[in-house]
Amino acid sequence: MFVYEKQLQYPVKIKNPNPALAKLIISQYGGPDGELGASIRYLSQRFSMPLPELKATLTDIGTEELNHLEMIGAIVYQLTRNLSMEDIKKAGFDAYFVDHTTGVYPNSAAGVPFNAFSIASKGDPITDLHESLAAEQKARVTYDNILRFCDDPDVIDPIRFLRAREVVHYQRFGENLRLLTDKLDSKNFYAFNPSFDKHCFNKKK
Amino acid sequence: MTERDMLLKKIGTLKFAVTDIDLFLDTHPGDTAMLKKREEYADQLKPLTEQFEEKYGPLTKCENGANTWAWVKDPWPWDTEV
Repeated sequence: MFVYEKQLQYPVKIKNPNPALAKLIISQYGGPDGELGASIRYLSQRFSMPLPELKATLTDIGTEELNHLEMIGAIVYQLTRNLSMEDIKKAGFDAYFVDHTTGVYPNSAAGVPFNAFSIASKGDPITDLHESLAAEQKARVTYDNILRFCDDPDVIDPIRFLRAREVVHYQRFGENLRLLTDKLDSKNFYAFNPSFDKHCFNKKK
Repeated sequence: MTERDMLLKKIGTLKFAVTDIDLFLDTHPGDTAMLKKREEYADQLKPLTEQFEEKYGPLTKCENGANTWAWVKDPWPWDTEV
């Protein structure tokens, strides 16, 4: 169950519109390594996790990603306020505008709509945790790439916050993997699927 | 920064401290020092949240106590103009 709090996790207050930058940053809304994918990846993977610590971590990080989705939405929204048709054409925002006006829609920087193929939920905790670890690094690199195009401190500040969270989440998922392998046979972590072959796992635990 | 923004930032900072500790506790549930730290931050958060909600309206849906539903009031978190 989720409860909405009427506050962003980190403040977003952007004074100057910049539709060209919005077009890039929207990739973290609905692109391949964006926050929408992050939240549903973790909130889906958690169901088959075999240990309580892992269920808790995926639930809490998946929930935090919803905060981040909201922050990216706020950034895109604020970067596309009060635009003239001239601004839109000059920034190359026209292709997005024709389909969505200045509404926030989950697509990548190249305009590809969100696709669930960019996430995985395999039902094997070692596999899923590696997918999650990789996802955090991919999102971190995307934020690094976004920062290469930013010169507005109002944008840089919240993007840096989001980048830092990717690093913390990576750390926590690493601990999850260790907690799991500590309960497995160090000679062969892959002898069985701890989520599916529960009789083997419970014996090991 | 308006008075409202300053208070909200203080709340956000403490809330974030609690959130980050929560993630740590998920993988270190027996860390008593961290449990204590969480309690400290949560205790500081409570009066500030009450102060904010009294003055500017609810941050979560709660008892309304008035004749209009305060939840709908602007600003919403992505708004820039107050």
